[in-house]
Amino acid sequence: MALLEVRNLCIAVGSGGALLPVVEDVSFTVEAGRTLGIVGESGCGKSLTSLAIMGLLEGSQVRITGGEIRFAGRELTKLPAAERRAIMGDQMAMIFQEPMTSLNPVYRIGDQIVEVLRQHRSMSRRDALVRAAELLALVRIPGPAERLKSYPHQLSGGMRQRVMIAMAIACDPSLLIADEPTTALDVTVQAQILDLLADLQARTGMAVVLISHDLGVIAETCQTIAVMYRGRIVESASAAGLFAAPRHPYTSGLMASIPDADADCETLPAIAGRVPRIDERIGGCAFHPRCPRAASRCAIEPPATATYPEDHVVLCHFPEEAAP
Amino acid sequence: MNTLALFNPFSGRRLAFLGLVWLGFILICALAAPLLAPFDPLAIAPVDRLSEPGGSYWFGTDNFGRDTLSRCIYGARMALIIGLGTVAVSLTAGSLIGMLSAYFTRLGHVLMRVIDVLMAFPALLLALVLMTLLERSVANTIIVIGIVYTTTTARILFGMTLKLKNEVFVEAAVCSGAGHCSVLFRHILPNLISPLLVQASFIFAFAQLQAAALDFLGLGLPPEIPSWGNMLSESRIYVTRAPWLLIFPGILIIFSVFSMNLVGDALRDSIDPRFKDDIAGV
Repeated sequence: MALLEVRNLCIAVGSGGALLPVVEDVSFTVEAGRTLGIVGESGCGKSLTSLAIMGLLEGSQVRITGGEIRFAGRELTKLPAAERRAIMGDQMAMIFQEPMTSLNPVYRIGDQIVEVLRQHRSMSRRDALVRAAELLALVRIPGPAERLKSYPHQLSGGMRQRVMIAMAIACDPSLLIADEPTTALDVTVQAQILDLLADLQARTGMAVVLISHDLGVIAETCQTIAVMYRGRIVESASAAGLFAAPRHPYTSGLMASIPDADADCETLPAIAGRVPRIDERIGGCAFHPRCPRAASRCAIEPPATATYPEDHVVLCHFPEEAAP
Repeated sequence: MNTLALFNPFSGRRLAFLGLVWLGFILICALAAPLLAPFDPLAIAPVDRLSEPGGSYWFGTDNFGRDTLSRCIYGARMALIIGLGTVAVSLTAGSLIGMLSAYFTRLGHVLMRVIDVLMAFPALLLALVLMTLLERSVANTIIVIGIVYTTTTARILFGMTLKLKNEVFVEAAVCSGAGHCSVLFRHILPNLISPLLVQASFIFAFAQLQAAALDFLGLGLPPEIPSWGNMLSESRIYVTRAPWLLIFPGILIIFSVFSMNLVGDALRDSIDPRFKDDIAGV
């Protein structure tokens, strides 16, 4: 049985009585110890999906309108808040995009880690501090014992993201959701953080859901990849399969947009058009206004999924059949 | 960094420092009133009624022959009690209402509308209305003035909590399995301490004025209690014959409120550096 199983997840934003769908019919599974990458442009629903899994949509304008999220055999969307909180931070944890603001400015680093530990484990403050120092060492922060006494503003962005990771893995979660963990960091620090995540994963055997808009980051770290466009997964495959032969025109477009360091060009390649606003209604396939291969059928009829060998799934009327 | 700046909000601010000295002086008067006061503030001496300042009565006496200096010193005690009491009531109630309203949106719709209604009354009018419903006593005065300043505190904390609750570190706390109580009081509240401190200093000052006004109108503290406001109230009949009855408590009120405002300004500026350059050296 898969560790995390998302089935037909639908999320909508309530605005003035009307419900605007922002995530539609999203399904994926994550096996223990594996890494799933979710890629897509801003506003495609990838972050909302992760927030839904963590149960952070509660009390906001955004609601889960359908589908199920099964984690270790339990249906999360129907779990009472208290039981859900017992899982959050313990068996599943999350790291965020903004390391500069994701630590509480008024607490020392050590106290924040201790807080998480004591929320889920009955341990004394002293034991928790010892464990916190171990965790800081684990995320390769030099001088962990002294760093426990630092305030967040005394640390750099990369250091803070390491502290966030330390807090996330404090209780040995079996699932870690990383929502754009490296986007706000320098490229060199990015590589270090990704390295660290891979290392921790190998050590603890946790599953990781890595959310990013950066195909390069995803390619380096994930075994399976789901590409999202406008609230739907338009293509999912193994990393090797996807990069060898992208079958959805959107995926090919994304890959073509990666600037080539060797090529000498005036303009950067990009997908034509823009991401539609969420209140725009688009009939048929949501990508057809920007799709180079759109036919009249694409504007009328929503595409069905086409399945290829090695679990390569595409949501398109005219998927690319052979490797380009 | 806020806490660091707080250590010395008075460097380069001579006036604010003088304010702090004055408040220290008032504090000593309040704490050591029985030692400092030359007479019993309630002792009546009909022979010496309305004596001018001088001799054994440095500040003169009132229409019952009570020593004005002693009453002023004991008045400091009342000022402190009223100030601290009001701060305690309004900060506790105000921060609870503000934080809960911002955190639980539906509850907020109800609570903040009640606060809006209360804020529509002029502060003194609201205090007068509430005071007429209650008996004159120290506790009731504190509660009524406390309610008046609960509204502003709740408003301020409502806004700040709304902003804080969307911060990533709060989301991260929720994510790590923290319950509502833990999020509100362990993750949000500590970030509100600095603005609460500033708010406290201003409420402390305004409570003095409000209490004096209530006393003057005969609706505040019971008349037998020596407070600066009561002394002003009693002095008004004799203002031409015995102006010292008005001058001494009046000066005490003005200096104290002014000092508290200066200290409050200094605290606020040290927390919010945007104001610093405009009035540096004041």
